[in-house]
Amino acid sequence: MKKAFWIIPVVFVALAIALWRYYSPGGAPTVVVYVSHDQVFSEPILKDFEKETGIQVRAVYDTEETKSAGAMNRLIAEKRNPQADVYWANEPIRAEVLRQQGIAAPYISPNGAGIPETFRDPNGYWTGFAARARVLIAHRGTSPKPTSMLSYTDPQWRGKTVIANPLFGTTTTQIAALFVLSGDERGRAFMQGLRDNAVKMSPSNGDSADLVARGEFAFSLVDSDDVVNRMKQHQPVEMIYPDQGANEIGCFVVPNAVVLIAGSPHPSAGEKLIDYLLTKETERRLAFSDAAQIPLHPDVAMPPYLQPIASIKVMKVNYMEIASKLQTILPFLKNWAGF
Amino acid sequence: MEKRLTLVTAAALLAVIGLLPVLAMVTSSFYISGSFSLKAYQTLLASSQQYALLLGRGVLLSLLTSALATIVGVPLGVLIGKTDLPWRGAFAVLFTLPLLIPPYLIAVAWGTVVGKGGWISQAWPSATSDLLSAAFFGLPGCTGVLFTAFMPIVMLLTITYVGAVNPRWEEAGRLVSRWPNVLRRITLPLIAPAILFAAILVFLLAFGEVGVPTYLRYPVYPVEILTQFAAFYDFGAATAAAIPMLVITLAILTLEYRLLHNSILELKPVVPGAARSQIALGSWRFLLFGIVLGWALLTVLLPLAVLLIQSASPSAYGEALLRASDSIVRSLAFAVIGATALTLLGFCCGYLVHSRAPPLWRSVDALALFLFTLPGTVIGIGLISLWNTPMTNAVYGSPAILILGYLAQYTVLPMRITSATLERVPRSLEHAARLCGASWFMSLWYIVAPLAKRGLIAAWLISYVFCLRDLGISIVVYPPGSDTLPVRILTLMANGAPSLIAALCVILIVVTLLPLGVVSLWLRHGARQS
Repeated sequence: MKKAFWIIPVVFVALAIALWRYYSPGGAPTVVVYVSHDQVFSEPILKDFEKETGIQVRAVYDTEETKSAGAMNRLIAEKRNPQADVYWANEPIRAEVLRQQGIAAPYISPNGAGIPETFRDPNGYWTGFAARARVLIAHRGTSPKPTSMLSYTDPQWRGKTVIANPLFGTTTTQIAALFVLSGDERGRAFMQGLRDNAVKMSPSNGDSADLVARGEFAFSLVDSDDVVNRMKQHQPVEMIYPDQGANEIGCFVVPNAVVLIAGSPHPSAGEKLIDYLLTKETERRLAFSDAAQIPLHPDVAMPPYLQPIASIKVMKVNYMEIASKLQTILPFLKNWAGF
Repeated sequence: MEKRLTLVTAAALLAVIGLLPVLAMVTSSFYISGSFSLKAYQTLLASSQQYALLLGRGVLLSLLTSALATIVGVPLGVLIGKTDLPWRGAFAVLFTLPLLIPPYLIAVAWGTVVGKGGWISQAWPSATSDLLSAAFFGLPGCTGVLFTAFMPIVMLLTITYVGAVNPRWEEAGRLVSRWPNVLRRITLPLIAPAILFAAILVFLLAFGEVGVPTYLRYPVYPVEILTQFAAFYDFGAATAAAIPMLVITLAILTLEYRLLHNSILELKPVVPGAARSQIALGSWRFLLFGIVLGWALLTVLLPLAVLLIQSASPSAYGEALLRASDSIVRSLAFAVIGATALTLLGFCCGYLVHSRAPPLWRSVDALALFLFTLPGTVIGIGLISLWNTPMTNAVYGSPAILILGYLAQYTVLPMRITSATLERVPRSLEHAARLCGASWFMSLWYIVAPLAKRGLIAAWLISYVFCLRDLGISIVVYPPGSDTLPVRILTLMANGAPSLIAALCVILIVVTLLPLGVVSLWLRHGARQS
């Protein structure tokens, strides 16, 4: 009994010392990155950065459960003593919120030169890359196929459609974009139309995609990588780029965005990471990965199931305006979602 | 003197580690941009009708979960802990397994079985499977999943206490009646305080659960707190939104205190190596075995089978180890350190509660239980507010912050187990040691700890399980590059292959069971030697 009890503090102390040594700052350069892009896609990119540059990457990833906002919340909570050097956002609105809160620092990377101005902050507070499109995922058995975001309000689909919680993620952003483009009145009318047409609400884009793949619903508005993922799993779904007609509003495109954090502990390592993420090679890899992200640099190779950005009719919006609109419509969306 | 100093220090530690972050959060909810403001609370009051509906839903879900867990968990605990049911050891482990998995994953596994396009819909008529699917995504499904996840708490506490009842009472009852009546009129009433505590624990855990109701589309109040964090980035509003939950929690704790205030468990003194009294089931043995086996197949083995089948490929486990081996090692290390620290702090606090010597024992007990019921996110953000400063970066930037989180949230578990275990250690032994000149520490080391060994091991194991499966705190404060396995599973769930996620869940179960297996073998070895 006495011998056994001695083992416990010995093991405890040994573990504590091992962990303390592991976490003590050593000689290797380090960069801390908070990532809202799915870990399964972003981690390989960061690991390759580590191998190529010798800079150790320490990452914090987001989850669907925290609605891809866990990393954002940490950044905001840590504002007075930043731990992160870089934030890899999965949409520019979050980057814009960080700029508004004084958490972002300006940095214009030379590798961002080929990226269209629409997808960059003019003062360098964030730079977009590797985008996804907001598309319709439709079950293969659905007929006729929907062609527009407004199909949600078509009575023929009453009770047969699902949308991710409009309080979180890219769904919120797209609805804010609709409000910016069409005005508040039409935006509210659209949301009321969803309610009148008994559109169901799911926790996330991934859940929406799964529900459509299982045949529980006819279609949903999700991100293009959600659809590609299910197609690669041979699930019975199709991807439709909505609103591509001549008089239609176009498809909403959501680029990733990379942000340098103000007052970060390793700013030069952070800049190197940003430079790496904005290369054509990174975009090519993200295009061919299951992330299926659309490159924003011209002349980047991509797989056949993705459409080049130049061939998609893109919704013409300003992300700064969307970020501001989002703050004003959130109480309305909260009410709509039943909270 | 040393006893009082140690116990008061332990209480102070709990207050600093647990209460200060919460106070920091509550204080910050009264300030916007540095100025005092009641806006967060005004907004809360303005939406009171909506919130009342969500609160009502949450209370209903928690009541149903707690009631079901008690109705099933108590008889199961009695069968496993007190009778000669065949395979009772295996059943105890089997029914405990859902407690080791984050409830969200149990919901996902059940969705694969009963959801549209799931296993059942392929075997049953579509009308039936549609009905089942519709019921699953709502209150019935939430209740079922949370009941599966939390029933083990009631079962385990019943097993622990039913075997520890002073046999004099049962033997006296057996002289005039049969076992069912003895159980109904003597044993269960004697352990009613423990059962009530278990039911309350289940209620509070279900009340604070977010993942399952969100996935199953049954909006409840904690989702509001998540919304304020994740959609509005408004920590003050999130904290204000947490206040009604805290009020309900305090009400439940007050009820628990009033009901259990004068209850004393009639437990038998510890006799090392003594066998537990057992009820012979006789002709009922195989029927009850069949019922328990059927229940295990339906509620535990079926969702676990989903995980195993989904992960059934060597490449899935290979990829899981490639993607998460570092998280697995870290989870083990953090859980071992966390469990050890919790057992030490829990022991001191439990001793304080048991001895009731310093008048602050009630406050310590209430504080520990209160911290347990707080959403992990609130504690996590509180820890960031308190510890993320240049001066304390050595703590905040290291796994120490996780350990502090575990101590804040889970101290009540080892504390209550210690307190109950110490009820079985005659105080006269301690007093005798003190009279012989032994210090308080010596009497603890040579007398109390050996007699309370099983309870301390149970406290360590339960602390280990909760530290290992923790998500709420870990996800908010883990040091960059140092995620734990449950966090890694959740982050990889976004577009990770189902086989990979299933493999990681199986690995999580194995890692959780590892020390349980080691301790079980060690105890058996010790029993054989003695």
